[in-house]
Amino acid sequence: MDASNLSIREINSLFTKKELKPSELYSKVFENAANSEAALHAHLTLFEEENIKKAAESDKRFSNGESTSLLDGIPIAIKDNINIKNYKTTCSSKMLSNYTSPYDATVIEKLKEQNTLFTGKTNLDEFAMGSSTENSAFGLTKNPWNTDYVPGGSSGGSAASVGARSSIAALGSDTGGSIRQPASFCGLVGFKPTYGTVSRFGLVAFASSLDQIGPITKTVDDSRIIFSSISGEDSRDATSVINNQLDIPSDNTATIGVIKELMEDGISDEAKNEVNKVVEILKSKGYKVKEISIPIIKLSISIYYLIAPAECSANLARFDGVRYGLRVDGNTSYEMMENTRAEGFGAEVKRRILLGTYALSAGYYDEYYGKALQARKEMIDEFAKTFKDIDYLISPTTPTQAFKSGEKTSNPLEMYMSDLCTIPANLAGLPAISIPTGLSKDELPLGVQVMSKPLSDNSLLDFSEIIENEVQFDGQPKGWL
Amino acid sequence: MSLKPTIGIETHIELNTNTKMFCRCAVVDTDEPNISLCPTCIGLPGALPVPNKKAIEFITLLALSTGCEITSKGMFHRKNYFYPDLPKNYQISQFDLPVGLNGELEIVIDENKDYIQIERVHMEEDTGKSSHSGSGRIESATSTALDFNRSGVPLVEIVTKPVISSSKQAVAYIEELRQLSIDLNISEGRLEKGNLRFDANISVAPEDSTELGTKVEIKNMNSLRSLERAIDYEIQRQTKALEDGVEIVQETRHWDENKEVTSTMRSKEGSADYRYFSDPDLPNMFLSDQFIKEVETLMPLLPKAQREELMTTGLSLSQSNILSKSDDWIKKMYVKVFDQTKDSVASYNWITGELQGQMRKANIEVLPEWFNDDYLSEIIELIKSNKISFTSAKIILTEILTTETTPSKVAEQKNLFQENDSEKISEMINQIIKENQDIVDRIKSGEDKLVGFLVGQLMKQSNGSVNPGMAKELLFKELKG
Repeated sequence: MDASNLSIREINSLFTKKELKPSELYSKVFENAANSEAALHAHLTLFEEENIKKAAESDKRFSNGESTSLLDGIPIAIKDNINIKNYKTTCSSKMLSNYTSPYDATVIEKLKEQNTLFTGKTNLDEFAMGSSTENSAFGLTKNPWNTDYVPGGSSGGSAASVGARSSIAALGSDTGGSIRQPASFCGLVGFKPTYGTVSRFGLVAFASSLDQIGPITKTVDDSRIIFSSISGEDSRDATSVINNQLDIPSDNTATIGVIKELMEDGISDEAKNEVNKVVEILKSKGYKVKEISIPIIKLSISIYYLIAPAECSANLARFDGVRYGLRVDGNTSYEMMENTRAEGFGAEVKRRILLGTYALSAGYYDEYYGKALQARKEMIDEFAKTFKDIDYLISPTTPTQAFKSGEKTSNPLEMYMSDLCTIPANLAGLPAISIPTGLSKDELPLGVQVMSKPLSDNSLLDFSEIIENEVQFDGQPKGWL
Repeated sequence: MSLKPTIGIETHIELNTNTKMFCRCAVVDTDEPNISLCPTCIGLPGALPVPNKKAIEFITLLALSTGCEITSKGMFHRKNYFYPDLPKNYQISQFDLPVGLNGELEIVIDENKDYIQIERVHMEEDTGKSSHSGSGRIESATSTALDFNRSGVPLVEIVTKPVISSSKQAVAYIEELRQLSIDLNISEGRLEKGNLRFDANISVAPEDSTELGTKVEIKNMNSLRSLERAIDYEIQRQTKALEDGVEIVQETRHWDENKEVTSTMRSKEGSADYRYFSDPDLPNMFLSDQFIKEVETLMPLLPKAQREELMTTGLSLSQSNILSKSDDWIKKMYVKVFDQTKDSVASYNWITGELQGQMRKANIEVLPEWFNDDYLSEIIELIKSNKISFTSAKIILTEILTTETTPSKVAEQKNLFQENDSEKISEMINQIIKENQDIVDRIKSGEDKLVGFLVGQLMKQSNGSVNPGMAKELLFKELKG
């Protein structure tokens, strides 16, 4: 038995029964990391030394029967845009290559309370901007199913880490699909909770109104366990909400909508087939399934690429060489700031800062950013209307299977299109999950996405678990070994 | 061509909250740099702002007290510009939805009331402090030291409409606003500490023109004196330019305290586009009716109402105005002394004239604890009932300011009670007449004013204890029949 293949609940049960020790599990995942890192480059840093100590403490708690947490001794990988006190937070940027955070993100505090182990920090597209983890200043990450392919992004390192079993689960952040898309590409569950249910305090902001931390796991239940551990209102995040969950049915009294606009041109047949497969299963179980049209979804990418860059243009202004991070000298303060930003940011980050600065500029604001806000509001209203009759919305997670490394790097627009299906949930603040359902003819994973109304995360997870149980996806990649 | 100046003033008031606007760092008053900082107020990656309710309460209080309409659905905006002492390189401020709009402030100049229309009252966070070595300006500084203690301290900005027409009005406006902020207990109101900072927009146009002239902004006026001089200088400069046919350039000018001139800082053509947009970290702010009602209950008696109340005691507008802008203990003392003596003029003169004058002369900042309000009433009553002379009263006041005693004790000890017994005075007069026969002769031959000399002699001999009015009367009777 390979413990690194097990779910969190299974592992905890073995820990409790003293059939497996946290230190043994940690040795296993570390060994997996040691074997796969050279091929995959999922992590930017691995915290071996401190984990040996922490795992031994977990051992003791379990051997004394004192452990109370499902996450005690569970090795979790952390995307490197989430602050862990006294560790580097680089955001895969040259700008922060030597930056050490003096404080913990709220999610890290919460996981520390649960005695979770942090295997290390994972690679990402610089400042979470990208869909392939190719925009990292520290080298790209490969897909554990086939290293010719990207793992998706921006949480590609987190997905590759769990895919390679170098960690049991991982935290990612999702601004336009950055959890769900890499999870789908790597045959994993990726869950973006309702906006505000998980505190953003300590997550390095890309686009504040869209960013949300969430888990990348092997099973829906693992996502559930992590979500329940990291969620909750936080007095340090003014956008956080009280996690008062709505109870909507997950059994076959629920009504399912298939989003018409995400089953049209631009979506591969393989991706559509996965949705159809799930729909057939649900129908056979007695669920009512309808086709639903939400025309404004077609504007998602346009809306997103005005709002996200606008917010990022301000959020990333603080990286100026004055107080921390990279500093490139100049003759005056302004020259120093200019030189620092010119050298510290990569091309994609600069592109988005410029795009956002332009969209907010005098004379252009109304035409671009203002209109995008208006359209976003309309989209929120449209979803609210849809959820009056529909409990869950199903679509592909991504238009295609994972693409090859380098395939889309020279065509940003094509890269942006890979987030078509995932962006609407960020714009509307909805909970959304990607569930692995099958393999493409290239033997690469494919997934379906399910969305539901805000604050129905738990019901969404219950419903997703039903799908998960029905499709029986064999989630073990063979490629990287 | 007759020209008229038009002035608008922007004032920043530093609020005296315990903690900063968007983090819970203490607001400190110290020269030791960088001792009250946290991830939020120095803009570390991942840190988030959370509004200070007290600061919003203070701003609402100021908006209500200036008769503003309250924007119940207010919003925080980001004002984007790069400067080394602005940690996020954007300032959280308010834009199109400020807390207060369209207010008015009553000001007093001598015996006249005037009304200054307020355009808006809004909240923003303060920046850090830069110390540029070398030239004192960032463009040519060889190095810049930064202190972030002030970074994030709450400010309220009050912007007038362009309705001020003279430096005198401008000074009266700032004096009124300063007193208002002190009475509302939202600021220390200390100009020398930068608690209030103001910029003026000045233009000059022909008297009969309906349009305003080209606006010039004046910065760096650190006192009321510099406000007055800078405005006068600028009006003169612009007037002369227009008379000479020189075009006024829209620009920001710097008031040079030493040279007493304004000089160009930067022209408006090159001014920044601040790219305001609503801060996605701070959800819309709702000022509920309930909140506004609660704030209203905190409203003290405003300077305007204080003046009205003081005028009912018989004081003039300017006297009431001076009292309303005096320290709290002075206001209270006036009310008490007037209450006891029912003599507004005597109460006012003794408190604002004699008492404050003697305190200033003797460098007494705080009244000694034995000094009782009743003492002033007693002194006033003693004068009114002719028991002591005005001269004696001054001596008594000096004594009770420095020694723990009472007015009547001092009068007794120093033998200051006035002689009001006409028989006794007549006896003394007879003595004086004997000693000054030559003067008496001259009075009898018509030099009436020499009576004063005799009264003086009488006062001298009696140590001032003779009632001078009675003495004069009796002398006339004796000499002129």
